Amino acid sequence: MDFLELDAVTKEYPNRSGPPARVMDQVSLSVRQGEFMAVLGPSGCGKSTLLQMAAGLLPVSDGTVRIAGRRIIAPPPEAVYVFQQYTRSLLPWRNVRDNVGFAIEHRLGRRRAREVAEAQLDQVGLEGFGDHFPWQLSGGMQQRVAIARALAAEPAMLLMDEPFSAVDALTRLDLQALILEIWARRRLTVLLVTHDVDEAITLADRIAVLTRRPARMAEMVEVGLPRPRDAVATREAPQFLALRRRLLDRLLLRHDG
Amino acid sequence: MTAERLLRPLPGLCVLALILGGLEAAVDAGLIRRALLPPPSAIAPVLWDMLASGAVLPPLLATLRLVFAGFFIGSAIGVAAGLAMGWFPPVFRLLEPVVELLRPIPKAALVPALMLFLGIGETMKITSVALAVLFPVLVNTLQGVRGVDRVMLDAARTHGWGRAHTLLHLVLPAALPFILAGMRISLGLALVLAVLAEMLAGQGGLGFLILDMQRSFLVRQMYAWLVILAVLGLALNALFLLVERRALHWQPALRP
Repeated sequence: MDFLELDAVTKEYPNRSGPPARVMDQVSLSVRQGEFMAVLGPSGCGKSTLLQMAAGLLPVSDGTVRIAGRRIIAPPPEAVYVFQQYTRSLLPWRNVRDNVGFAIEHRLGRRRAREVAEAQLDQVGLEGFGDHFPWQLSGGMQQRVAIARALAAEPAMLLMDEPFSAVDALTRLDLQALILEIWARRRLTVLLVTHDVDEAITLADRIAVLTRRPARMAEMVEVGLPRPRDAVATREAPQFLALRRRLLDRLLLRHDG
Repeated sequence: MTAERLLRPLPGLCVLALILGGLEAAVDAGLIRRALLPPPSAIAPVLWDMLASGAVLPPLLATLRLVFAGFFIGSAIGVAAGLAMGWFPPVFRLLEPVVELLRPIPKAALVPALMLFLGIGETMKITSVALAVLFPVLVNTLQGVRGVDRVMLDAARTHGWGRAHTLLHLVLPAALPFILAGMRISLGLALVLAVLAEMLAGQGGLGFLILDMQRSFLVRQMYAWLVILAVLGLALNALFLLVERRALHWQPALRP
């Protein structure tokens, strides 16, 4: 069953001189319930725009977005967006516990939210850090806080916008392993935007490849690597390397136009 | 480390001592007439008497009460109006012309008009102070609300926060550095307006006394009250910085 459906989604921005600038042209894709899908494309192609429209944070110019069969015009309760810029999405005046409680306090109240937050912190490897402030933590730990916050809302779906692009390479592997584990344990549906080919292959069931601006669907790639995967070992599989080569060729070729 | 901290204000204090010594010498040498500016050594005993007898307290408390009442009323209205204007566009369109018209008026110029309406009692004085405080706080709050990071607002939206909850728990704390900066400017203005209102319609308070002493040719007393006013301004500012530091402990510039 399709959980998220994008049907001929188009995005245009008004242009002072001339016709509106089209950044996305008739993109259609559907993510099945429980599926991990990556969206891959050259930087600046509008991947984040796509994700924001899927999250109901940005209106579409044309086409429709559906989550669990309902047309999305505002952020739906089933899907939570995880931002690339954790330094800007966490509240600097709140400690880690209250930053995670952010997800649910408006529904459960502050006290109950803190209890839930504490439990979530354990699950992302941050037990004992509840009293710390975001700026006291490393980038990787801050992104763990952001992930714990998203999970606290108990969403059916995560929409992740290059969530690991701002951390160092080792931390990235760590966080990729964490997200693989959480996805499997919670049976989440994930749509993850990235420009990192290795990341897309390691994590995803299918990869939606976009063209350069205005973004169109170039290809839908079935990854087919066995599960459970490992953020390190999976990258040595011949199947991984072949797919990596194919995707990089495609992206680099397009890149030079 | 501690010694360094103790020594840091020393050069500044030396300049202050030099100025006081210079004044003393200038008066002694007949360069300045005693009737206009008594030497610091003549003002100090008067000041000491006022402090020791407790005579300083009633006027000081009267002025302080005026400053605090006006400051809190003006700040509360300024923050509320700034948040409403920044967060709800129709409110902005409604109030912006009025604010832009009233803002540039030096609030001191409104005191005579306020006296017509409110008489010369506390109500008029508190209103004068509150008016002076209101606008810098309002404008800074508005700026703070508009500067809230879009990513942070999107985070609230994706987690299903409503407009009111977002305003109270995200926009307000995010704008707090701006709000407090506005309040710090306003605190100085509050003191100015309090002193002025007391001069124009005073039965007590520091402003009234400074003018009253000058008119009674009690020049030493006048300067003594002036010193007390200066110390009051200094103390209020220090107190505010303390509060600001506690409230904004998470800001990069204030981290330990």
